[in-house]
Amino acid sequence: MSAVACELCPRACVIPEGAAGDCRVRVNIGGKLRATTYGRPSAIHIDPMEKKPLYHFHPGTQVFSLGTAGCNLHCLNCQNWQLSQRGGDEIEEVYPAEPAEVVAAAQGERCRGVAYTYSDPVVFYEYVEDTATLARAAGLANVFVTAAYINREPLRRLCRVLDAAHGDLKAFDDGFYRRVSGATLRPVLDALVTFREEGVWIEIINLVIPTLNDDLAMIRRMARWIVAELGADTPLHFSRFQPQYRMRNLPPTPVETLRRARAEALDAGLRYVYVGNVQGDVGSSTYCPRDGTLLIGRSGFTITDYKLTAEGRCPTCNDKIPGVWL
Amino acid sequence: MTDTRDLTQRPDAPRRRFLGFLSVLLGGLGGLGLARQPQAPGTAPRDRPLKEADFYRPHDLAG
Repeated sequence: MSAVACELCPRACVIPEGAAGDCRVRVNIGGKLRATTYGRPSAIHIDPMEKKPLYHFHPGTQVFSLGTAGCNLHCLNCQNWQLSQRGGDEIEEVYPAEPAEVVAAAQGERCRGVAYTYSDPVVFYEYVEDTATLARAAGLANVFVTAAYINREPLRRLCRVLDAAHGDLKAFDDGFYRRVSGATLRPVLDALVTFREEGVWIEIINLVIPTLNDDLAMIRRMARWIVAELGADTPLHFSRFQPQYRMRNLPPTPVETLRRARAEALDAGLRYVYVGNVQGDVGSSTYCPRDGTLLIGRSGFTITDYKLTAEGRCPTCNDKIPGVWL
Repeated sequence: MTDTRDLTQRPDAPRRRFLGFLSVLLGGLGGLGLARQPQAPGTAPRDRPLKEADFYRPHDLAG
């Protein structure tokens, strides 16, 4: 009986015959590594692009979104734990769909693209790659919503068929990653840089959890790292924590904390910083960094104003605003 | 004083009866909990056709 080594993510699981890796869904069957959730999504929805959240990528469009069971992280505060913290045979419902069926359904619903999301799509890598290849050929955009805990080589390969990524940077602190997510920080930073190097449009999200990662000095260091390694034009979203799963002992993030984090990141040099999960906050809209013109107004996932020119420029100063626009 | 204790029973009999009752109660509740799990152990996921999926159903999944 031969064990197999999974080289997809930094966990580097060595999986005995008949067993699964840490993600629960990548299994050694007869000495071959198989993804048991290939073609077996358990969550399929059509969401606004703003929900991913992507604010500078085809705003106002719909995206066909799917996810399977399993995850290679085990965050104590996981919002989607009923999907992510289960194996492929522990889930209630599955909607078997080959890649071509996903693409046909997305086209049939007039979606702008396909998003691989809800659990971490790293663990259904092969399904993403095959579906994204067909989706691109059909003129659809591919969106990867991830915690970016993936090795560089497989990520580079996948980037060939990705158009946008939403990367979760949980904290700028390795200890946080170890305690809360059972992971480490360095591979996440490397993966985020890889997205940038490979020309994938990327936006970053940081879920601010009271007392665990809301230290403004750490937020400043994180923002400076983003400026230096990903660029000052990289959108950063601060999102509001809600107590759930195994982290019910902490309160929701005060809105004022999110606003302070936004101010700190702007001060550190980032040009597009947002506050998420707070309905109608001024920090959920896009403004021209040069003259302050409101470019895209948002309330929740709804666009209330759209003033960018057809070329994606500010109508006042004509500066080009980074992103992939309509 | 009159000793009214029933000398035909062992002194700890009521305690044993109570513990027995408690065991049955907790066992029953535990069994009920397992049976009502969204996915009972050993049960295969239910495969549903893609056309049955309501893509627009409100949901609270992040991402």
